[in-house]
Amino acid sequence: MSQLSVNVELQRNAFHFSVNCTIPKKGVTALLGPSGSGKSTLLRIIAGLEKPDRGLLSSDSHIWYDSQKKIMRGPQQRRVGLVFQEYALFGHMTVSANIGYGVHRSIRKALVRHWLQRLELQNYAHDYPAQLSGGQKQRVALARALAHEPDVLLLDEPFSAADPTLRVHLRQQLKAVVQSLNIPVVMVTHDLDDIHYLADHVGVIVRGELYEFGTLTDVFNNPTTRQAAQALGWQNFLAVQSISSDSVSGKWGRLKLDREISPDTDWLTIRPEHIRLTRQNSSSDSLEVSIVESIVNGAVRILYCRLPDGNCLVVHRPWDEPVPAAGETTHLYFPQAFLRALADAGQAHKPITASHENNNLTSRTTA
Amino acid sequence: MATGAWENSTNGFIMTMNDWQAMSLTLQLATLTVIILLALGTPLAWWLSQTRHRFKVVVETVTALPLVLPPTVLGFYLLVLLGAHGPLGGFWQSFTGAPLAFSFGGLVIASCLYSLPFVVQPLQNAFERLDRRAIEAAWTLGASPWWTFLTIILPQGRRGFLTAIVLGFAHTLGEFGVVLMVGGNIPGKTQVVSIAIYEHVESFNYTAANNLSLILLAFSFVVLFIVYAINRRWYSGVAA
Repeated sequence: MSQLSVNVELQRNAFHFSVNCTIPKKGVTALLGPSGSGKSTLLRIIAGLEKPDRGLLSSDSHIWYDSQKKIMRGPQQRRVGLVFQEYALFGHMTVSANIGYGVHRSIRKALVRHWLQRLELQNYAHDYPAQLSGGQKQRVALARALAHEPDVLLLDEPFSAADPTLRVHLRQQLKAVVQSLNIPVVMVTHDLDDIHYLADHVGVIVRGELYEFGTLTDVFNNPTTRQAAQALGWQNFLAVQSISSDSVSGKWGRLKLDREISPDTDWLTIRPEHIRLTRQNSSSDSLEVSIVESIVNGAVRILYCRLPDGNCLVVHRPWDEPVPAAGETTHLYFPQAFLRALADAGQAHKPITASHENNNLTSRTTA
Repeated sequence: MATGAWENSTNGFIMTMNDWQAMSLTLQLATLTVIILLALGTPLAWWLSQTRHRFKVVVETVTALPLVLPPTVLGFYLLVLLGAHGPLGGFWQSFTGAPLAFSFGGLVIASCLYSLPFVVQPLQNAFERLDRRAIEAAWTLGASPWWTFLTIILPQGRRGFLTAIVLGFAHTLGEFGVVLMVGGNIPGKTQVVSIAIYEHVESFNYTAANNLSLILLAFSFVVLFIVYAINRRWYSGVAA
């Protein structure tokens, strides 16, 4: 098993990219972030398709890039399996030829047969990519990358070309394959469902910097920056104007806190499902809001509530729970355990230096 | 007068030794020109398709010049360059003892320059349309740049190569002004078909001019027909 260490910097015009992390030896590490944040750049750097300006990149004892020693191994020398966003199959070759492209002639036949069988592509061995469905193309791209017997598997938005129904099916297939691999798997995606289904570890890249990195549960429950929290699906943000020892306040009002928070805090956040409705103003751990809209989506009722400063909060309640009608006023109660303090990325908080060995990866500002 | 010459010379489809030599020389010239231009034009077209260098536009302009320059202008400068007192011609003569102007070697150089854009531009267009990710995928699968060229770039850019070959070949077949300026009209040495046709017309031998013209016409039609047919097949085929 190999471990991938990445500590690289790159400057392209105004875009600064700086990532320092160790990708675990086994399991899927998902990289999440807004468009243009540099997720795919990291994959390209690992694959050797992009040369960083500075840093070190190694897979176990093999150094792939070292700016000090002026080492830059090309993509041909790295043994990386890369599944491109829209598969990048060789259109003039059959499925078999695609899968066997990177395999030595002496073992090509056996490996191609193995991967055709493994990914249920036997019936399409002599077809061309143009004759395949989206799901079949994805399987060919995966088989081609794995037949090469890579030390690292990189997946760049592997489901972006699939419709929602196919996406569910493809996720299941991919999970079955990658679970049996003993190599680091790095997946770039912006889809939270992909991450919840496939990932063991998550990194959040914002504006070219790695801001969160850790286990799936830890990163999703404890974001540290607003930009990372947004990428992770957090929706409610209260701008903080002043912080005292037991409370925070903004244009939206004041909330009591049972702990001290960092003076760098710019935002308070809470997940929609953790906010409760109360008709009484229970002192300073609730805020008065007016209901703007109430929508039932399956078993969840989604409430859009307007704060005194005009901003909206999203609240999720069980569909059958009685709630005030649109236009009525109510109070939202924020349980202390679920409130998180965030900073703005790139301002007070520095991006983290992450290592899988150190599980306490995120420099939390709240308890 | 012209009609008389036509009537006097309608003795059937007869070609003189000079005509055959002109035909043979033209085919040799066109073939050699295309081979040289593919060897030189492919890396140039690749560079033009990939680079963001500030001199790219200069190189593109120079490459396209033969498209707009009158052949006599290009021919004149080539004559100066390749002549016994020209920089290239002088060097060549001191090295080999033979002149470059009014020789087959001079014709090849002139043809290569004159047909350069007809080979480079289709190749450049083809390279710009290539699926960059497929090339990168080949690299990550261990393919060397040369192997990637043979197995990915060449097959994916085959229509561009076919167009470049046909345009380069056909354009060389039809050269007149540049060839006349640089090579003159020496039968068996520098006289190509287009000049032989001109000479036949000048001497009112319309049958001979017609014979050569018909061969060129038929040849051009057949070549273009085959190219379009192949292109159509590649375009609609599953492997396209």
